Amino acid sequence: MARVLVVDDAAFMRKLLTDALVSGGHEVVGEAGNGIEAVARWQELRPELTTLDITMPEKDGLAALAEIMAIDPSAKIIMCSALGQEAKVLEAVRLGAKDFVVKPFQPPRVLEAVDKALT
Amino acid sequence: MATDVTQREALTQLGASTAEAVARVLEMFVPDGVERGEVTVIPETLDPFANLPVGGIAASVRYVDGVTGGNVFIMPHTCARTLATAMGAEGDEGPLNELEMSAIGEASNQMLASAAAAISVVIGQEIEISPPDVRILDGRTDAVDVWGRAPFACSTSFTIAGEPCRLVQLVPSAFVVRMARAIDELTMEQSAIGDFPGAQSSSRDDSEGALPLDQTLNQINLRFWAELGRTQLPIGEALELPVGAVLDLDRTADSPVDLFVNGLCFGYGHLLVTEDGEWAIEVQSLSKPSVRRPSLVGGAGLADPTDTMKGNI
Repeated sequence: MARVLVVDDAAFMRKLLTDALVSGGHEVVGEAGNGIEAVARWQELRPELTTLDITMPEKDGLAALAEIMAIDPSAKIIMCSALGQEAKVLEAVRLGAKDFVVKPFQPPRVLEAVDKALT
Repeated sequence: MATDVTQREALTQLGASTAEAVARVLEMFVPDGVERGEVTVIPETLDPFANLPVGGIAASVRYVDGVTGGNVFIMPHTCARTLATAMGAEGDEGPLNELEMSAIGEASNQMLASAAAAISVVIGQEIEISPPDVRILDGRTDAVDVWGRAPFACSTSFTIAGEPCRLVQLVPSAFVVRMARAIDELTMEQSAIGDFPGAQSSSRDDSEGALPLDQTLNQINLRFWAELGRTQLPIGEALELPVGAVLDLDRTADSPVDLFVNGLCFGYGHLLVTEDGEWAIEVQSLSKPSVRRPSLVGGAGLADPTDTMKGNI
């Protein structure tokens, strides 16, 4: 079980991710709807794991990822973004993301990525 | 400079590539419930946003990085509710609630991110998209004010669980120019190497020179391939795959294979082995004529459903 921060600009996706994580025994300690909120909430909550969307208003997920990794290079972050943004995958991995879950996803895929990132 | 004919073909190709990508994502939400219609190139004199369904929903995703244009998914109210419900966002009677609107936005984001990736491949240029904008069409929506203008537009109809909707694409000049150039280059390349199947006719050999453009396009060789199956791997695993690794695909050995031509899935078939020991495909079903015969390349040589053809697998 891990304390997780869920970041996505769509309330619907935050709910879907939260439901998946809770069903796997994890605790969602906070949510954020854009990259700026994501960095602020991460600093405030220091979650064990963060799921991060890429295309978001204000500040995108890659920029937020870079900022969080600069604060704590051991932060565990999983990118969770739409099909077709695979071009961003290598950039996310280079910046330190632990995994990349492509939407639309099945809950077991999210839990598998979370378990792997936590080990 | 691209001709009007090539521009039209470029738009049709872009529209078809987009519709294909959009339908594939929609089918993940509504398995076996998505029908894709014709791609219609909208003349400059017509309003691409005529007859907006009052009370319906429009979800738009713009291109960014200085590229004008974008995609607007227009759904009557019942279609939007059907899609939201299929995604797991339940609502009561009346207007869509916040979660349903968010689900529609997310669906649009996923569909159009996939479409942007498909177009990126076609035109050879990476395309970035904005987060989605979802709004209720209240009868006073000023389309130009909200979604802007673009030099070219096309529209594709869909049905989701029987409910009609449409995707309007505002296409930047740069996309059409690049696509048209690619078609022109392919045409010239084919002319240069003389690789026209059955083209040793007098009209080609005479001193008058080139064939009319539509005939030339009809003789272009297309890349045809069949897809046996797919799998998905985290990038970490993919990068570390050892020689000898075995990957399970999502099809059984006797499942039909998907048939593609220039990136568009146009039907299904079965693998055969010929007497010469070569692989062949027996075409079993073909998709809609708009995809099978995109306007000017109508006679591009795609086979009748009963034909057997050979291709790169």
